[in-house]
Amino acid sequence: MTGLSGGDLLVILRHAPHGSSWLKEGLDTALVAAAFGQRVSLLFMGDGVMALLPGQGSGPLGQKGTQPTLQMLEMYDIDSLWVEHQALLERGLNDMSLSVDATRIEKDAISRLLAEHTQILNF
Amino acid sequence: MVLHILNRSPSMSRVFQQALDAMGTDDRLLLIEDGVQGALPQLIPYLEPVLGRLFVLKEDLVSRALEGHCDARAIVVDVDGFVSLTEEADKTVSWF
Amino acid sequence: MQYALLVQGSPYSYQASHSALRFAQAVVRRGHSLTAVFFYHDGVYNAARLAAPPQDEPHLYDAWAQLHREHDTELLVCIAAALRRGLMDERESSRHGKAGHSLEPPFILTGLGQLIEASTAYDRLISFSP
Repeated sequence: MTGLSGGDLLVILRHAPHGSSWLKEGLDTALVAAAFGQRVSLLFMGDGVMALLPGQGSGPLGQKGTQPTLQMLEMYDIDSLWVEHQALLERGLNDMSLSVDATRIEKDAISRLLAEHTQILNF
Repeated sequence: MVLHILNRSPSMSRVFQQALDAMGTDDRLLLIEDGVQGALPQLIPYLEPVLGRLFVLKEDLVSRALEGHCDARAIVVDVDGFVSLTEEADKTVSWF
Repeated sequence: MQYALLVQGSPYSYQASHSALRFAQAVVRRGHSLTAVFFYHDGVYNAARLAAPPQDEPHLYDAWAQLHREHDTELLVCIAAALRRGLMDERESSRHGKAGHSLEPPFILTGLGQLIEASTAYDRLISFSP
């Protein structure tokens, strides 16, 4: 992996969609930070990689998923997207095409990603 | 240096592994709340990679009657020590 | 140093709010300035003005208010997280046609932008989550 980009804020997303609001609220925070002119990166870690599966929909009561928010990232100029390679492998999802273009990051590079951001918010 | 704060016990949750994966060689780990169980001799092997920079919050040990049961390699700090750790760190990350 | 806290745990359900408050008191005791506490996720319930814990339990709501009174700490509640959980001030209450309000100063409804500002303007931002 080359070219680890730094930034003002790294948002770590570790929860799957639908089961809790962590993913959604983490993404909302990222969008607002970007709207405030911050250079924002996202790291999908652990169960957070489930956010990147294509084909997700609303919940049975019409609860919004997070897929529409992911599609907004580009509009907010959030293009530094990282996904934990090991987490994809552990879930047998590494061969799937992801719903947004995220770069696979190896375990041993994660601490460097954290170090290169001024602020970190963990969801 | 980043201060990582963990509030989950390694016996209950694998979140500790995420914290360890994200830690650089100078980073520190502070155990709080249920996380203090990680300082027990039977559980501290999970946190072996960060021994020497592993801290545990005294007040959360005391309220759980765990203070006398800690592994000596976990460095006990009180809440003032917690603040002091955040003073020394460039930033903090909370794992939950 | 200037500190800000992010509180995401529901009071009395998780230790997060107690941990945050204990940390807050130590921050000011050590001579730092605790500029803001931002409540997000279930942390917004800390701002429920009708909270009535038993007398022999810590009164988190009053303790937050006391921090504000004595140290000018801003108590900022994410409006998006609060409204969907039924926490609203008088203004939002009348806007939504509700009979009463559940949040009042010193807790202030505000946007996520304030959290972002806290993360950049102050020296330290510490998160307490459930």
